[in-house]
Amino acid sequence: MSHNIKILPGATVCEDCTLEGDITIGGGTVIHPRVTIIAEGGPIIIAEYCIIEEYSTIIHKKSDQQENPPKPLFIGAHNVFEVGCKLESPCGHIGESNVFECRSYVGVDVKIGSGCVVGAACHLTAPQTLVDNTVIWGSEHHIREALEKQPSQLLQLDFLSKVMPNYHRLRKPNVHKRQSSTRQSQEPSPKP
Amino acid sequence: MAYLTQPDYVKYICSCGQLKPITSLYFCRHCLKIRCGFCICHEVDSHYCANCLENMPSSEARLKKNRCSSCFDCPSCFHTLSTRATMAQPRQTPQDPAGGDTKVESKQPKKMYYLSCFNCRWTSRDVGIPDQPVASGGWPERTNPFAARVNQLLDYYKAIALQEKQEKIERERKKFTIRGKYITLTDKTGLTGAMARNIAGLPSSDSSCSAIANFVPSQASAEVEELPEDYYTKEVNLNQITSMPQRLASPEWQPVSVSRLHPLAKLLSVKRSQRCRVCDHNLTKPEYNPGSIKFKIELLAYYHVPEVKIISHEPVKAGEKTALLLKLTNPTGHEMQIKLLQPEDLPPPEEKEEPKSIEKSLEKSLNLEKDTSSYKAIEREPQYSVTSRVTSPPTALTLAQRDDAAEYDDDAQHDTTE
Ligand SMILES: [Zn+2]
Ligand SMILES: [Zn+2]
Ligand SMILES: [Zn+2]
Ligand SMILES: [Zn+2]
Repeated sequence: MSHNIKILPGATVCEDCTLEGDITIGGGTVIHPRVTIIAEGGPIIIAEYCIIEEYSTIIHKKSDQQENPPKPLFIGAHNVFEVGCKLESPCGHIGESNVFECRSYVGVDVKIGSGCVVGAACHLTAPQTLVDNTVIWGSEHHIREALEKQPSQLLQLDFLSKVMPNYHRLRKPNVHKRQSSTRQSQEPSPKP
Repeated sequence: MAYLTQPDYVKYICSCGQLKPITSLYFCRHCLKIRCGFCICHEVDSHYCANCLENMPSSEARLKKNRCSSCFDCPSCFHTLSTRATMAQPRQTPQDPAGGDTKVESKQPKKMYYLSCFNCRWTSRDVGIPDQPVASGGWPERTNPFAARVNQLLDYYKAIALQEKQEKIERERKKFTIRGKYITLTDKTGLTGAMARNIAGLPSSDSSCSAIANFVPSQASAEVEELPEDYYTKEVNLNQITSMPQRLASPEWQPVSVSRLHPLAKLLSVKRSQRCRVCDHNLTKPEYNPGSIKFKIELLAYYHVPEVKIISHEPVKAGEKTALLLKLTNPTGHEMQIKLLQPEDLPPPEEKEEPKSIEKSLEKSLNLEKDTSSYKAIEREPQYSVTSRVTSPPTALTLAQRDDAAEYDDDAQHDTTE
C-alpha cells in the first residue's frame, strides 16, 4: 500500500499513530496518539478543525464494486471522534460538526449528514441515513432530532494544539499553503 | 460471596426466612439475629439533592414537592442537566460560537446560560426557553393547569384525614373511660378537647368542616373532543412524539410533542436509617452530610457473620459422591465456633408474644403516635429446594479471629481455617 500522507499547515498530528494509504489532514485538525486511519479502499480526506481522539479508528474499506479511480472518503470540518470510536466506510461523505462519542461504531452503508451525534457505545450497523442533527444515544439507540448543530470545539482545539507539542512528538506538515487553499473552498461556509 | 455481575451463589437465611446474599444483610447486635431489607424498618433521615448536595428539611421538601429548586433533569433521557455558558452579543439572537468567530468579533460579549444534557444533547434551546443571564435559577416555571383543582382535592383529603383522626381519639378516650380504671389526661387535668387538639398541634375543626362541605365531586362527561380530521392519515414523525416515560415524568402536562418538553426539577434523594423492628435499635445510620457516604452506625452482616465462599465443586451426578470445597472466613476479632447443619436441623422460628402494656398504648393514643403493630417482625420458615445432600463434617469447626496483618503477609497459606 502506498503511503501518501498529506498534512496541511496548522494540523497537529501525533507521531504515535497509524496512518496508512492516501490521507489528507486539514489545517487545525488535531490527531491524538494511538489513532488508526487506514485508507485501503481509497483516499481519506479529513477537513479542518476535526478532533480525532485516542484509539479511534477510521477505515476506508475496500469494496467489490469499487470505482476506478476510487472515490475518496471525505470527512467534513469540525467533526469530533471521541476515544475508541470506529468508523468504517467504503466511500462517501461525512458532513460537518458530527460527534462520534466514545466507543461508538459506524459501519458501512451508514450515511451521515451534519450535526449528528452517535452516542457512546452506540453501534450503527444497518444501512441507514442520518439526517442532519440526528442524535442517537443510549443502549436502546434512542433517536431524537436536535434543533441546532452541536457547538464547535474551537476552544478545545486551541488548547490541544498549544499543549500537544509539549508532550508528544508530532508529524510535521508537509504540504504548503497553495494546495490547502483548494481544500478550503470545499468547506461550506458556517451557518448564520 | 457476592458478585456484582454474577448471580449470588451463596445465600444466607435471614431471620425472616428470606434468602439473600451477604451484601444485602444486616446483623442486629442486640437481638443477635440476621436482618434484611424486608424485615427492618426504613426511616427517612434527611432529604438532599444528589446533584448540588444541598440538604433540605423535610417540611421544606414537602412544600417543594420533593424536588430541588436549582437542579434539573433532562426531560428527554432523565440525565442531570448541566448549565452551559455561551458568549452572546446583546441585540443578537443567542447562537453558538460555532457559527463563526463570534468570540473575536464581539465587542461586548455577554455571558448567557442554557441547560444542556450531556447524554442525549437535549438543550433548553430546543424547546425555545430563552437563555438566562444568571447561572442558576431564573428558569421559567410553568403553572399546572389543574393547580386549583389539585389544591381543592388536597384540602378535602386533609380535612377528611383530620376528621378521622379526631374520631379515633374520641373512640380511644371512650374505651378507656368505660374501663374506669385509668383516668385520661383530659379528665385529670380538666383539659377540653380543643385544648388537647392544640397541644397535639392540630388545627381547630371548623375550617376542616367547611372544606368537606364545600367540596364538589367531579362529574364524568360523555362529551369528548373530536379527533382531528387527519388523525388516521397524517404521517407520524416519531422524532416529534414523546415516549411514555417522557410523558409520565411530568404528570401535570404530559406533553405529546417533544417541543413541549421542559426541564424537570430534580427529585430529591433521601438518607435513610434502618432500624431493627424487634429491638428498635439502629442497624444503619448515615452521616448527616449529604457529601459523605460514611455511616455512624453500620451493622452489616459482612462484619459479623462468617463469609462462605465456594472454592470448587464437581458436577453433581445422581447417586454419586462429589467434592465441594468451601472456604469460611471469620470477619470478627473473636474466635468463632461453627457447626455445619442439615437443612432439617435448623431451629424453627421462635414464637414470641410481646407483652403489650396498656399504659403504653394509652400513652400512644394520646400522643397520636403511629400505630406500630404493622412494624412487627414476622419470622417464617425459609423456602428453598434441595436437589442434593451435603454430607457435612460432624464436628464443630473453630475459626480463628481475623488477622489484620494477613493481607500484608507474603506467604499465601495464612488464611483462616477451612
Ligand atoms: Zn429478613
Ligand atoms: Zn440540587
Ligand atoms: Zn438528556
Ligand atoms: Zn434487634
